[in-house]
Parts: sequence; C-alpha cells; structure tokens
Amino acid sequence: MNSLRLRLLVSLVGLLALAAAAMAAITYHNVLGETEKLFDYQLQQMALSLRDQGEIDPLQADTLADAQLDVVIQIWTVDGRAIYASRPHASLPARALLGLATLSVDGRAWRTYSVATSSRVIQVAQPVAIRERLAAHAAWRSVLPLLLTTPVAALAIWWLAARNLAPLERLAREVRTRDARSLAPVPTAALPDEIAPLATALNALLARLASSLDSQRAFVADAAHELRSPLTALKLQLELLRRADDAETRDAARVAIGEGIGRATRLVEQLLALARSEPDAVLPVDDVDLVAVARQAIDDSHAFAGARSARIELLATEPAFVRGDAVALALLVRNLVDNAARYSPPGARVEVKVRDEGARVVLEVDDSGPGIPEGERERVFDRFYRRADAAESGSGLGLAIVRSVATAHGATVGLHASSLGGLQARVEFRARPR
Amino acid sequence: MRLLLVEDDRMIGESLQRTLRLEGFAVDWVRDTAAADATLASERFDLVLLDLGLPRGTAGGPADGLEVLRALRARRDATPVIVVTARDARGDRVAGLDAGADDYIVKPFEFDELAARIRAVLRRHAGRAEPLLSHGGVTLDPAQRRVTLHGQPVLLSAREYAVLEALLARPGAVLSRSQLEDRLYGWGEEIESNAVSVYIHQLRKKLGAGFIRNVRGVGYFVDAGAGGADR
Repeated sequence: MNSLRLRLLVSLVGLLALAAAAMAAITYHNVLGETEKLFDYQLQQMALSLRDQGEIDPLQADTLADAQLDVVIQIWTVDGRAIYASRPHASLPARALLGLATLSVDGRAWRTYSVATSSRVIQVAQPVAIRERLAAHAAWRSVLPLLLTTPVAALAIWWLAARNLAPLERLAREVRTRDARSLAPVPTAALPDEIAPLATALNALLARLASSLDSQRAFVADAAHELRSPLTALKLQLELLRRADDAETRDAARVAIGEGIGRATRLVEQLLALARSEPDAVLPVDDVDLVAVARQAIDDSHAFAGARSARIELLATEPAFVRGDAVALALLVRNLVDNAARYSPPGARVEVKVRDEGARVVLEVDDSGPGIPEGERERVFDRFYRRADAAESGSGLGLAIVRSVATAHGATVGLHASSLGGLQARVEFRARPR
Repeated sequence: MRLLLVEDDRMIGESLQRTLRLEGFAVDWVRDTAAADATLASERFDLVLLDLGLPRGTAGGPADGLEVLRALRARRDATPVIVVTARDARGDRVAGLDAGADDYIVKPFEFDELAARIRAVLRRHAGRAEPLLSHGGVTLDPAQRRVTLHGQPVLLSAREYAVLEALLARPGAVLSRSQLEDRLYGWGEEIESNAVSVYIHQLRKKLGAGFIRNVRGVGYFVDAGAGGADR
C-alpha cells in the first residue's frame, strides 16, 4: 500500500469507524444506565400499586395477561401457594426475593421486584434483554448518521487527496521532461510548503549535474582539440617519411615520428590523469608519507632531468604524513618536478622540500629557471594554457593536474618567486588528525 | 613558389616545412603573430599558410592569426592565404573566410589535400581554371610535378622545375634574377651565385634554346606568342 491517497483514505475511514464504535459503546452504556433506573422505578410502582389495590379485577387481569406486555406478575400467599400469575411462565422461579433483584433463569436474565404484605407476596418481573435491546437501538440510532456519511467522507478524502497531491504529479511531469541536454530548474512557484523543499533540493541537484556535465563536455572538447596538434604533427611526419628520398631525411623523419608519438602519448596520459583526479573523483584515503612520494617522483623524473642535466635535490629531515591517495599525490609531485626541470635551462637546480609544520604539511618545489611573471601565475593553472615564450611544447595540463589533485586533497597550491631565482610551487596540506 | 608558413607548434611547423620543400616549394616559417605581421609587411610570398591560434610574440603583436589576416587585407595585399587551424566550428570557418582567407583547412589534415588546395588557390589566383600550365609545346602539371615537351616527358630537377613553373605562370612577364631566387630559396638556404643562370641554361638545353628569352639586365620570360620551343 504505497499510495499516499490510499493510505490517507484507509486511515481516515479507519478513524471514522473507530469513532463510530466508541460512540456506539458509550451510547449503549449510557442508555442502559438510564433505562435501568427508569424501568426499576416502573417495576416498583407496578408492584406497589398491586399491593395497595388488594385484588386484581378480571378486566385488569386480561390486560396483564396480554402477551404483548413484557412484564410478568406473580402473586403468592405467605405460605408459598401461588394464587395469581399474569401469564403462565414456567421458567420463572416460584419464589421471590424481596426488593429489586436480577435473576438468571434458563440462561435468560430477569429483573424482578417483589413486595410482601401480611397475606401475600407480589413479584413483578421483566426480561433484561428488553432493556439491552432498547440500549442497542439507541446506540445504533446514534451512529447511523456517522455510518451514512462515511462513504461521502471517503469520496471527499479521495478527491481532496488527489487535489492536494496534484503539485507532486506536476513536479514529476516537469522532472520527466529533463534529460542530459535540458537540466533547467523545475518551477518552484505555487508549490505547497511541504513539496517546495523537494523541488528546491532537486533544482540544486540539477544545477550541480549541469555544471558537472558542462565541465565534462568542455573537457572532452578541449581534449579532442588538443589531440589535433600531435595528430597533425604525426600525419605530417609520416608523410615526410613516405616522401623522403634519401637516408638522411628518412632518419630525421623517423626521429620526428618518435617524438610525435611520445608527445601524443604524454598528452593522453596527462588527460587520463586529469580525468582521474577530477574533484568529484573518489580517491582512496591512506596515511601517505609525502617525503617518500617525493623521493619516488624524483627518481622517476631523473631520466628526463638527466637529459636536461638539471640537478634535483630532496630536502626533508623526517617523514611528513598527509591523508590521501598515494598514486594521485605521486602524480602531483612528479608534475611539479617535471615542470621545474623541463622549463629550466640546462644545468638548472631544482629543490624539493617537504616540511611537517604541525598544523600543516608543506611541499615546495623551487627551481633556478626563468620563472613566470606574477600576472601569469594564476593563468598557467588553466587547462591547455601554454606560455607564449615557452621553448618546450608541453601538454598544458601539468599544473591543472596539480591543482586538481591538491583540491581533491583539500590542499592549496600557489606559485611564487623562488629564492633560487626561478619559480617556487608551494602546496599546503592540512595535517592529518593525530 | 615561395610560401610563408605561420605555425606555433614546433613539430607541425618542422614537418610541414620539410614536406612542402620536398614538394618543391620554398618555405619560410614564423611562429608568432608579430613575426608573421612584420614578414608579410616587408616581403612578398606566393601564398601564406596561416594558423589561427598563435602567440603574440611581442606585446604589440596582433591577437591571433585572424588579426594578421585582417591587417594583411587592410594593406590591400592580395597574397593568397590558406587558414590551417584546429578550429573547426562553422563560425570560425566563416570568420576566417570573411576576414579574407582564400581557403580553410582543419587539422588534422592529409598532406595531399593541403598540397591540392595550395595548387588550386595558386591557380585561381593566377586567373587560370585549368590545372595544367601549357605553353609552346611545353606542358607542366603542378599536381604530378611532371613536364612534357610535345607529349614526351622531360626530366627536371626540383629547382629547374620551380624556375619553369614561375615563368610559365605568367607567360610574357619578365622575372628578375632575384625574383626567381626568391622562388627557389627559403630563409637560411644558401643561394649559390649564378644558380639561376645555371638552371636557365639547363632548361634551355632540355626544352629548346629559344623557349626562355633573356632581357639583358632585367630578367627572363617565356614568349607570350606560342611556339618558342620550335625556334
């Protein structure tokens, strides 16, 4: 029973039924109480009037013998001989208890009143069932209007529920028209207070989805665009190889193709890395020693740095733990070290420093290269941004990856002037809770 | 034919320059808008291959390739321009062509297609509809880079071919030695002294002594009246 309408209906009809039952019970009880006094009084009066009257005249005897009359009268002599019975009633006992009494005879309850004179005993008896029937009747009459109005109430509830739930249906219709291409907010005007929060929450979700989809689309478009350059280069390099008519040109073309493939590979790897480190990506969380990560990253980039003859040093005295994903953090450090080595002239110095400052863990990568002017230091974090005077053609993704990983770890990253003369990249992590 | 290649990507620039040279073009290559603007303002090219997404080079350089093109047309310079870019949106194509480009090709492209478009643009620019250059029994097919004399194939070196193509493009027009040298050599290529005379000599030997005429002190031309090769 998942329909709100049905639930409302069943519970309200149930409530009505309960109310009717309670009302019937109370009425029954009250009416029974009322009639008891009344009938007892009546029995009493009848018995007393018979006592005072002495004899029963024949006319009166006919009336008293009428089967319609529910009262049975018996008169005995003092020594117990029956001298009168209004109707022969075998089941009533041939003896009387003086005063009011309730007797059970053959499973039927009787209410009796008996008086004694010097010569006779007069008993007036009436079946209790009559009183109960009267009470039940009164109870029934009192709940009847309620029972008659119940179907009307049920219909009214059914209709009212539908009417009040209509905004929900409208909302559902609105939501059904949304898809990946149209994530416009659903209208919240004229929604009841109980449903409006749902619509508002839904709109917030739609907005988050839209922005996430937009950034995904932009990323895919950017990525496709960026892949064009290395692919164009590869096609041309292949064409050159095909047309080369001497060994020297052929060798040069082969070397160029190798470079072109390397470049395309690096771009694809960086794109993948960036996609994996997107802020809403789910990263495993461990205690990671940033010093160990930095040492590994420096080892990894030594082949490249060696070709450039950059000197890379790690300056760290003790382990510095942060909470995060070791693979992503390694990517962050490697990109910073690669950048420092790649964009610095041969013979440049690169220093990687990791410090645990208690409240935070700081990673710094300094180089003695040409640096980046202050006005451009924020823009270089943009995806695919390449500096105009950069001699190297990188993927334009390195720093975007660094920032993405840092953000995913709740860390901040910034570029500053280095004491070595070049650029300093500084990443600040919150210390892990101790 | 002398081309200016404006391309900031080192790999693309290098391989495109080399492949175009193998095709017999003299190719100069600049990598930013400032250099492109300055070069186009001071030197003459038969055709420009222009990338759109370019760095400025210097602070005052045009914002991108499209601005270079607009500046070129603003100088009433009709040098044919083919835009070679990764920007493939329809708006970009329209903007490129409306800014004065003669053609528009999107990266990544097949080199054959680029070469064909270069030939087509050069042909249209010279006011010719037919793909073959033909004069006095000599026929030159730019697409195949083949030359025939009365239907018989003639073997020419790349430089001889380039000289012949320049002369056949405008029969009757006199081309000076330095104009021919420009067609033959890109920047940085060493120009051998009297190389042009040597190539003319070779051509005369292969095509007939009277085919290429000499105006002493001015330059060379092929006779506008047909039949030079027979004399």
